[in-house]
Amino acid sequence: MAESFLSARLDFLRRVQNPDGGWGYFPSKQSRPNQSWIEPTAWAALALHGDPASGRAWSLLKSWQRRDGSFKPSAEVDISNWATALCVNVSNAHGENPEKAIRWLLDAWGVENDFPLHTTAKLKIFDPERNFDLKAWPWKPGETSWVEPTAHSIVALKRSRPSQHARERIGTGEAQLIDVRCPDGGWNFGVPKVLGIDQPSYPETTGIALIALQGRTDIAHSLDLARKWAAETPSPMARAWLTLALRLHEIEPPDNNAPLKPDILITAIEALGAPGGNLSLLKTGASA
Amino acid sequence: MSQRKETGMTRREFLPIAGASLLAGYAGFEGGKPAPRRAFGPSPVAIVKASSYSEDLASKILEGVRACGLDVAGKKVLLKPNLVEFDPHTCINTNVAVIAAAYDVFKTLGAAEVKIGEGPGHRRDTYALAEMARYVDVSKFESLFVDLNRDDVTPVERFADRGEIYLPNTALRADLIVSLAKMKTHHWAGATLSMKNFFGLVPGSVYGWPKNELHQVGIPRSIVELNRIFHRSFAIVDGIVGMEGNGPIQGTPKPVGVLVMGSDLPAVDATCCRIMGIDPQKIEYLNLATGQLGVTEIPRIHQRGESIKSVRADFQLMKQYSNLRLV
Repeated sequence: MAESFLSARLDFLRRVQNPDGGWGYFPSKQSRPNQSWIEPTAWAALALHGDPASGRAWSLLKSWQRRDGSFKPSAEVDISNWATALCVNVSNAHGENPEKAIRWLLDAWGVENDFPLHTTAKLKIFDPERNFDLKAWPWKPGETSWVEPTAHSIVALKRSRPSQHARERIGTGEAQLIDVRCPDGGWNFGVPKVLGIDQPSYPETTGIALIALQGRTDIAHSLDLARKWAAETPSPMARAWLTLALRLHEIEPPDNNAPLKPDILITAIEALGAPGGNLSLLKTGASA
Repeated sequence: MSQRKETGMTRREFLPIAGASLLAGYAGFEGGKPAPRRAFGPSPVAIVKASSYSEDLASKILEGVRACGLDVAGKKVLLKPNLVEFDPHTCINTNVAVIAAAYDVFKTLGAAEVKIGEGPGHRRDTYALAEMARYVDVSKFESLFVDLNRDDVTPVERFADRGEIYLPNTALRADLIVSLAKMKTHHWAGATLSMKNFFGLVPGSVYGWPKNELHQVGIPRSIVELNRIFHRSFAIVDGIVGMEGNGPIQGTPKPVGVLVMGSDLPAVDATCCRIMGIDPQKIEYLNLATGQLGVTEIPRIHQRGESIKSVRADFQLMKQYSNLRLV
């Protein structure tokens, strides 16, 4: 059963790979045929690691690296992007040194750590409802930091033989994730309170945050919630992230017999989290 | 006592000011010059009563569309509902009955194509969200629906102080975007109606979840800029059951029993505000939009169907927004 779950997904990914080596989000449902995007391509490349299809994907991704070391979201969208962290993972998997991309990651942080936001929060001119001392990662430069880019950046740095500076960023990044954890133990996109009112967490972002927090001992409540949600969520994407996170924490997730969805991101994450999948490419252990 | 109470500001209220206004000029101004004000109106806005979602909503929408003189024959139409999150205990999203009825109406009126598209700002799994909100009940939903967060994109020049913004091809190729909004209060913008609904046209694949670029530019200014780009639009606001209090997600249902429609989106939103007991002149994005994108003043709006007075149902406002109350 497990093997057919995994092989069905890997076969599907191979079958719908674009001629340029990448993947779009939804094969056959895109406004521009064969349009590849960084996020599904990076995840599919990891899921298929060891297969020639992954090598073709990595070649495409490398062609999207910008001079500043970051990667752009697609051939047409020329801006630095959070998914640079995913490309660091693919690069590491292919045994190549992602030095420039890591430098870019280390130079990226949310605008809340800079003047004027940091200073005005320190002066208590306004209440940021979180700790602006903690450096984490934004979706793109010039913005505040959020859970998902932070989680992926932490994993990328941990798996890249981190320098002292990188270890410091990993530490503050993890602390920021803990700081923005919702009262129920999970995570939403990164706002646990609005106007003093507690906000609910989401299953998918809870799974993503937990991937970055491998080896921590202060997240038992969050892992319990993840296990509960993995069994209950109606979202295939959330179930895929939660399954992957639980396996990385060496917790057996509930059976996932979800039918194959024509959604590359979900399919790739399901494949990575399936027994026999390339889970080890995301294994980090505890914080350095 | 928290500092927030003393200043009345929190992070998200402050970010647009510090991040955009201090560094890049302030809303309503382009390159240091005031945005040109143009002559608009009089603009028809239809208020049609509909007491429940089980009524014949297609007839109600058709009545409003005709009252506003909208012609969609031969056009590619994109229906843009407000699908944000799902909570079975409240009414966050545009009701599926309104979407299904709008789809039938625009097909009946001879639209060449009618699609449904949305790019939720918080949640990644748009299809699962659509399933929870029962949008899959719309006939042929799978083939009609586009996740605008993960659509292919094209750059559009000039978005506030930014050089360009990437927007989904499905929206850019539409001849008409129909904002199927929900009548709700909003903890940052005061109210979220047909114009704010266009935040869901910005792709998460480029800008993330949430679309923080819009916060950095400033919420009111981003609303106006998106409506400037997508000016070929029509609004149908689902006020059959709206949301009051801590909207747009954690508020409580507010039955109003109306659909509000029109081609001048600022006029539609100003009318909705008056129905909700909110002074539209105190909503910043409407002030910015007035004269740039449409009208908001009562004498320049031709009210069709019901009067505002006959359907007014004051929405409960968060304490921080009590000053918005229409006297």
